[in-house]
Amino acid sequence: MTMHETTPERVLGDDIVIAEGVKKWFGDFQALKGVTTRVKEREVVVIIGPSGSGKSTFIRCLNRLEAHQEGTIIIDGTELTNDLKNIEKIRSEVGMVFQQFNLFPHLTVMDNITLAPIWVRKTPKAEAEATAMELLERVGIPEQADKYPGQLSGGQQQRVAIARSLAMKPRIMLFDEPTSALDPEMIKEVLDVMKELAASGMTMLVVTHEMGFAREVADRVLFFDYGTIVEEGTPEHFFTNPQHDRTKLFLSQIL
Amino acid sequence: MTVEVREHQKTPLWRNATFLKWVAQIGVLIALLALFALLGREALKNFNQSGISFGWKWLSDPTGVDIREGIDTSPDSGVRALAVGMVNTLRVGISGIVAATVLGTLIGIGRLSKNWIVNKLSTIYIESIRNVPLLLQIFFWQAMALVLPQLTTDDVGTYWFKASNKGFGLAWFRTDGGFWPWMLFVVAGIVVGRYVSRYRHRIQEETGRITYPGLSWFATVIVFAAVGWFAWPILRILAPVWHGIASFFRALPPIVYPIVGAIASIGFAVLWIRNFFESRRTPAGFGKLTDDDWFRVIFAGFSGIALAIVSFVIGGFVLTTVGGDKATVAELIGRGIANVFDWFGRSFEVTSGSPIVGSRPEVIVKGAGFVNFSEGGVVMSVPFFAIWTGVTLYTASFIAEIVRGGILAVPKGQTEAAMALGLRRSQYLRLVILPQAFRIILPPMGNQYLNLMKNTSLGIAVAFPEIVQVGTTILNQTGQSLPVVLVWMGFFVTLSLGISAIVNYYNRKMMIVER
Repeated sequence: MTMHETTPERVLGDDIVIAEGVKKWFGDFQALKGVTTRVKEREVVVIIGPSGSGKSTFIRCLNRLEAHQEGTIIIDGTELTNDLKNIEKIRSEVGMVFQQFNLFPHLTVMDNITLAPIWVRKTPKAEAEATAMELLERVGIPEQADKYPGQLSGGQQQRVAIARSLAMKPRIMLFDEPTSALDPEMIKEVLDVMKELAASGMTMLVVTHEMGFAREVADRVLFFDYGTIVEEGTPEHFFTNPQHDRTKLFLSQIL
Repeated sequence: MTVEVREHQKTPLWRNATFLKWVAQIGVLIALLALFALLGREALKNFNQSGISFGWKWLSDPTGVDIREGIDTSPDSGVRALAVGMVNTLRVGISGIVAATVLGTLIGIGRLSKNWIVNKLSTIYIESIRNVPLLLQIFFWQAMALVLPQLTTDDVGTYWFKASNKGFGLAWFRTDGGFWPWMLFVVAGIVVGRYVSRYRHRIQEETGRITYPGLSWFATVIVFAAVGWFAWPILRILAPVWHGIASFFRALPPIVYPIVGAIASIGFAVLWIRNFFESRRTPAGFGKLTDDDWFRVIFAGFSGIALAIVSFVIGGFVLTTVGGDKATVAELIGRGIANVFDWFGRSFEVTSGSPIVGSRPEVIVKGAGFVNFSEGGVVMSVPFFAIWTGVTLYTASFIAEIVRGGILAVPKGQTEAAMALGLRRSQYLRLVILPQAFRIILPPMGNQYLNLMKNTSLGIAVAFPEIVQVGTTILNQTGQSLPVVLVWMGFFVTLSLGISAIVNYYNRKMMIVER
């Protein structure tokens, strides 16, 4: 049973993320060797690949946590350059969820979620809190609103982190290995939230090792190795009929 | 399967861990008391042999000490002279702490700046200041001030700012006739504003309308201060009330004060013990107290009783006042409180002048060819400048490193998460990074504050009349070395414990809630 059977087929829109020949060096080491891909609105793209292949670096370039040095990145019609105004605009439209959750430990769950809407979007506090409660209900932990992150389990923290990103009403969500730091029994609760989000029509780029999630939810899978996209295609293509030797090797090692 | 105890014999006392622990605790306490008693007896014996009688009479005796600057430049008694020194120490220390914190924080952030020039300048500041002995730096600033132009008869006049080798004069404010009645308006404004802000906060919570509670508090204070600026003379009617309170305290039998002290200390001990039991309570009922817990409870109880006794002993202590008559400490406390209220009453009888007036430094001729600043404005003397600049810059360099370390200790993911949410650099520094760095910074920061306070005693090197300098003068005149040293130690210990208490209070308040 897949989500595609239980929910109406998502209709993909126009290109919302355009990457053309993106290159990135860390000192001598070239992490991205010309990445070119396009993501459509409401599309769910899963990025897989061995560690050090540049997949995290790529999605971190998409909201300028890392600055790419060559190539073009256009997010929702805005080109990502040194222009601070563009960077601010893109960051407020692109949400990101991290492997280590990165919740603010000195703030309650509620304050974590309302911080950016209040300070960046200038939303009135009461309104921001109402939205935050809706989001907490959506991720299934409304009763934790007044707790601090340190009092929550890993899975709960990651769900708060997702709610925190959603509070900015982003058009695109980036997930950087969202379940890698979780205990096995907590992975499912986070994946369920992500599936619900995909079904609701959110554009998502997900770096993950969860092949089940990729097979079930992804519209397209990108396989990264040595800083380039080695192979891309639908999950069916990927898991039944991979073309490239490196893809076959990688899949044989993790499946 | 059953477990069989093969040997069931009573544990001998010398192998009983609980018993040994109690013996050790009591033993250490007795040994400590004995050591103090022994040292005290030796000291008294040596004093008697050297012909100096150990005593406190010098506190009330008139002194010939002239103090170069402070709240009183020719104090009439030893205790007054020491008070002037203490105030001078506190002036350097507290203003130094504030300035060093601001400067150190800025430089610490500067050292993390990606701007090459700011970064290198901060590094050079830190490395050059903290690697040179403080005493040399104080001499350096003194030398810098002393090469400034001399004041001559040509300089006579009024200034906004004037730098000379007699110090720096700066325009400032001073309190005038209506200050204290006006302050009552301001305090009333703060109290009323608190209620206004609470009320508006509740409205905001209920309706979601933005009501600016903090801003309305501030506005209330401003309104009260503005009204008070013109209306303060009507508070004259309160003058008899202050005098009435003064007479009440004068009529009160002095024994009341030690009784209040005793009740307070025993009450505090009881409260502490109750809270302690409360903190050991678990949902299942009272947890079992360990031996250490019992030591604490017994110690708290004894301390409470001991302090109660001490307050009676001190209260009954007879002192000679500056006027020459003898009075117990309790009587002096009563007189002191009454005098404060009388003084308050007199301040309220004033009807002329404004609460605060501007005041500019003035250079005048004081005697033949001798030119100096007069009373106006604030004048920072050369010794004050040297010691203040020295300790402030020195401590700021250490604070900068503490701030830098604190910021670096906040995980990088925090910055990334804040950036990904669209917060600007100034926003995430203030809302996310600094609050977390603050918890790491606070304890070592407290140490730097203590160091700064203690380092003010180097003022003696540039003849700044802080407590050590004043005390040394008194010591040289009277030969009462031990009492003076005791006063010094008591002063600095009290000060340090006070700073520690404040730092610890904030530290507890700021702790991150963990599971």
